[in-house]
Amino acid sequence: MRRAESGPARLYHRLVVWALFLILLLPLAGTLLYSLATSWSATVLPSGLTLKWYLALWSDARFLTAFGHSLVVCVGALLLSVLLILPLLFVVHYHFPRLDGLMNVLILLPFAIPPVVSSVGLLQLYAGGPLPLTGTPWILIGCYFTVALPFMYRAISNNLLAINLRDLMDAARVHGASTWQAAFWVVLPNLRKGVVVALFLSFSFLLGEFVFANLLVGTRYETLQVYLNNMRNSSGHFNSALVISYFFFVLVCTWIANHLNRDLP
Amino acid sequence: MPMTSMSRGRWLAALCLVPFGLVFFAFQIAPLLWVAVHSVQTAEGWSLANFSRILESRFYRQAIRHSLEVSLWSSLFGLLIALLGSYSLHRVESRLRDFVNAFATMTSNFAGVPLAFAFIILLGFNGALTLLLRQIGWIEDFNLYSKTGLIVVYTYFQIPLGVLLLYPAFDALREDWRDAAALLGAPTWRYWLHIGLPVLTPALVGTFVILLANALGAYATVYALTTGNFNIVPIRIAALVAGDINLDPWLASALAMLLVGLMAFITLVHQWLLRRSHHAAR
Amino acid sequence: MSFLVIEGLHKRYGATSVFSDIRCNIERGEFVTLLGPSGCGKSTLLRCVAGLTEVDGGAIRLDGQDLLPLPPQKRGIGMVFQSYALFPNMTVAQNVAFGLRMQKVARAERARRVAEVLALVELTELADRYPQQLSGGQSQRVALARSLVTRPRLLLLDEPLSALDARIRKHLREEIRRIQRELGLTTLFVTHDQEEALTLSDRILLMDAGRIVQDGSAEALYTQPASAFAAGFIGHYNLLDAETASRLLGRPVSGRVAIRPEAIRLGSGPLSGEIRGRSLLGNVIRYRVASRGVELSVDVLNRSAADLLLSGRTVALEIAPEAIRELEG
Repeated sequence: MRRAESGPARLYHRLVVWALFLILLLPLAGTLLYSLATSWSATVLPSGLTLKWYLALWSDARFLTAFGHSLVVCVGALLLSVLLILPLLFVVHYHFPRLDGLMNVLILLPFAIPPVVSSVGLLQLYAGGPLPLTGTPWILIGCYFTVALPFMYRAISNNLLAINLRDLMDAARVHGASTWQAAFWVVLPNLRKGVVVALFLSFSFLLGEFVFANLLVGTRYETLQVYLNNMRNSSGHFNSALVISYFFFVLVCTWIANHLNRDLP
Repeated sequence: MPMTSMSRGRWLAALCLVPFGLVFFAFQIAPLLWVAVHSVQTAEGWSLANFSRILESRFYRQAIRHSLEVSLWSSLFGLLIALLGSYSLHRVESRLRDFVNAFATMTSNFAGVPLAFAFIILLGFNGALTLLLRQIGWIEDFNLYSKTGLIVVYTYFQIPLGVLLLYPAFDALREDWRDAAALLGAPTWRYWLHIGLPVLTPALVGTFVILLANALGAYATVYALTTGNFNIVPIRIAALVAGDINLDPWLASALAMLLVGLMAFITLVHQWLLRRSHHAAR
Repeated sequence: MSFLVIEGLHKRYGATSVFSDIRCNIERGEFVTLLGPSGCGKSTLLRCVAGLTEVDGGAIRLDGQDLLPLPPQKRGIGMVFQSYALFPNMTVAQNVAFGLRMQKVARAERARRVAEVLALVELTELADRYPQQLSGGQSQRVALARSLVTRPRLLLLDEPLSALDARIRKHLREEIRRIQRELGLTTLFVTHDQEEALTLSDRILLMDAGRIVQDGSAEALYTQPASAFAAGFIGHYNLLDAETASRLLGRPVSGRVAIRPEAIRLGSGPLSGEIRGRSLLGNVIRYRVASRGVELSVDVLNRSAADLLLSGRTVALEIAPEAIRELEG
């Protein structure tokens, strides 16, 4: 039960929340304005509004290629995630529940080890030798897999706990399904929504990844963020349009994820 | 001994773990091991020379100092703002609360290169906000590309994370503690001092530690903001392996281990503090 | 003049009125219970007296002092909550000492008074425990000690026993009454349990939908309920409408009628009825008896198994005329 606030207290809290909102909004709003401005230098407000920067952006081949590269790498990483993590989680929850503790520690590693640190090792290990992966999208797919791992693992793990895996499997097997059939036809459909939500959230997160993309691959397979950084010397308006387009895309993904989440049983 | 169908199933299941294990090892464990092993090696062989080089060099010591200062201040400010924000979020009506919560979640994605650019637009030398504040007379000249500017930018991306972590902690604060304290004679500030903040402290410290780790490891934002020209540990590490000159992966490994060690140390202190408060409260 | 005077108090949440035109006088040292069903406004009324909730109009005076402009910190009132509200980061002793710290009492004096009040509630051995380590009954006793140590002029208790199990509830309510008598502390007790109200109070204020519908001693409330609501709330009255009552009593009746189940005698009397069933309530047997088309509850002391009447038996019954209470409303 939330107690009704007294007048001045209510006002204070609303002001603080609005202030928080404005602080977070400011850089975004500034960028949006800049992307729509004809020119804006050394004055507080822009001189005019236009959509030309967006048109220039979305007709730029290099941008579209970079965007495409990002999509390929992110989708690839997420595909790999699904292929590897779903069976992993199923096996851990069903056969080796004691591994769950170990897994929870392992998935802390991508958080605990900054990407810069991993990059040092990755560059040396895969620059040449038996597995020359640097400069190709493959190394990015592998690294992005580890980045998405904590989110995907936790989301699907919680989902599995919620649907009570053992009971479902037992019920299916009593009806004659083999373990594989049960897993595929009974468990998977119940996980679908949770997996899709996790995918959208991870996707928006991966799209913003820069460290691995820049250090391991750079311009040889230019992704969105690397492209953004490389365009730093071109017009600020162009860059703003780029940033807003990227953020808009992320917004749509997060919105879809939230929307799906709300429909979850 | 014939394998029963059960144990055969288990073997097959264990096999499912292998692909994951391979990929995880290849891209997460192996690099870490490489860095750990090579931190105590130089071109000549096994030695601790890397670490002594770092600690004796004014340049690298400055990088470490910068990392600590920027991380500490941005985490502190971010925590404070997130604390006040989360508390008020808890007390406003649900529509406003849900909206701002969702907005905070979305802006947590706005970090790295895009954020750096946004700040350059706003607070760069000719940024709109810089001009506005200069006109009002609030600031003389503000250098976004200095340590202070970096702290401002870092604080910005710490806020959503702080709010996300602190907001649920307020559920632990019960209304009737407030009432009981009031009737026993405690004005609002004494309630917070003796009851509210102590109860929140584990969450506060935990959030602070996560924010610290977040800031210490950050690379994209500072790189994009200063084109790699600011002397801070992640930049130094990257410069030693991917720059144009002075490539020294062993020194980079040592520096990386120092960074990881620092983060591990902070986490250990946090765990120790938690255990102490556990003894007290449980 | 009474110790606690409440006049014309009313409060609304938006368009709904929580309570209106509340008035009562409470004497020094009295134990008064606010009794009523959930949602009747009794807890809100208590919180208004404590200063935790604002009122929209009226007056509250304690020992002559107008309370409404004062914040809860300055009213000199102690309160025990249903959920104990013990501070989790402090030991039992520190919890109890909190009010004294706020009053800036010196440490030695604080320790002495804390020890004194802990002895009063019989919790001296638990002084260094944390609230998480206490049972429900122990927690409530700590809450009581905490509110008593500051020597308040008025003690408020908001359904303090509702969260406890039955055995502890009985034991604790006797303790509360004992301590209250010992200290001569004016007490306002809120509950929805009529048994609690009847056993503890000097006086009961029965509330329904935001109004005080009856104000009197436990005895008066039980034997002379003022309305159908009161009769339905206290005890297990037989409530009859006018037509049924006239049929049963053989004389015209103007309004609803309430008859206490123990006021109907079985075995002799001018009326006759048939036993429809019975339930064993321990020391009382409650029979369902049908007479002249009316089904009545009749309570009989459970003296011996030999006296048990079987269903289907016809039995004579008599209703004591002074126990027939005609109600308004």
